[in-house]
Amino acid sequence: MAAAEDSGEFYLRYYVGHKGKFGHEFLEFEFRDDGKLRYANNSNYKNDTMIRKEVFLTPAVLKECRRIISDSEIMKEDDMNWPEPDFVGRQELEIVMGNEHISFTTSKIGSLVDVQSSNDPEGLRIFYYLVQDLKCFVFSLISLHFKIKPI
Amino acid sequence: MAAVDTEAVDFEPEDDDLMDEDAGVDIETSPRAQQPKLKSAITGGSSFSAPKKTKGRGFREETVAERNNRFASNNFDSLVSDGGPGPQRSIEGWIILVTGVHEEAQEDDLHNEFGEYGEVKNLHLNLDRRTGFVKGYALIEYERFEEAQAAISHLNGSQLLSQNITVDWAFSNGPYRRRNMRRRSPRGHRSRSPRRRY
Repeated sequence: MAAAEDSGEFYLRYYVGHKGKFGHEFLEFEFRDDGKLRYANNSNYKNDTMIRKEVFLTPAVLKECRRIISDSEIMKEDDMNWPEPDFVGRQELEIVMGNEHISFTTSKIGSLVDVQSSNDPEGLRIFYYLVQDLKCFVFSLISLHFKIKPI
Repeated sequence: MAAVDTEAVDFEPEDDDLMDEDAGVDIETSPRAQQPKLKSAITGGSSFSAPKKTKGRGFREETVAERNNRFASNNFDSLVSDGGPGPQRSIEGWIILVTGVHEEAQEDDLHNEFGEYGEVKNLHLNLDRRTGFVKGYALIEYERFEEAQAAISHLNGSQLLSQNITVDWAFSNGPYRRRNMRRRSPRGHRSRSPRRRY
């Protein structure tokens, strides 16, 4: 586990979005191997415009990101039995870490009730919390660096 | 607003990576060959260098065009950077990252410790969403470079609540470890390697 945390390839992308009466509204962020963090948030509600930000992170920040992923053990999960993306929305989580590459998709998850009632509550719970922890990390980084409120 | 220099430097390599993968895909015959090309650009072009265990429905879906649209990489805002190595200034100050933070640490603990080196303008001590305890990291903003540098020098490797913490800059002026992964990794059967980009 420690080896996967510290060395080898790394990539992470998370997307959540839907298409509705305000167009395609989504939030997406990406961590790249070379340290680049990209963040995009498009909400057309009240004529809001697209926010796109990018910044280079230090190895220390990427390492912490890897730790959060490793600790979650998301790489052991599989989206096979998770709810399929639907008209309410979709989430995508793609991670490359060491020799593993996951690309999971599922519907939006409103609350833990959705997790409990799914066919894979254990796996989906891991996804649900990991996504929140990652968002929290990214929002802090983006808001401190650019002084914007990410959402 | 957007750093023209940075973008010019940063985005070209990605296009190159795409080319690289285009070349690779027709050789590779695994199920991943059907995978959208952008995926490979995403991993810095190195995803084909070693057999990788893949998992998930995302590999079976066509989202490239959409993703390209959403994440079109040429109009992201970034702060002006000289492109050189070293930490990057954020819009109102200098941000450092503390890791190894004890799960029961309080904001006061960090304020006390880090306030020694200058006024802490901002502190994010995020919580683990499942447990409600501290996730393990903190982001701290100082107004001045010297303050942040002093905090790093003095507190990196020190103990906070009997746990070793690491303290380092959060933001960098440019990329690190650019695609050297791929050069090091054995190419195996993939000998064709278009280098026309240089």
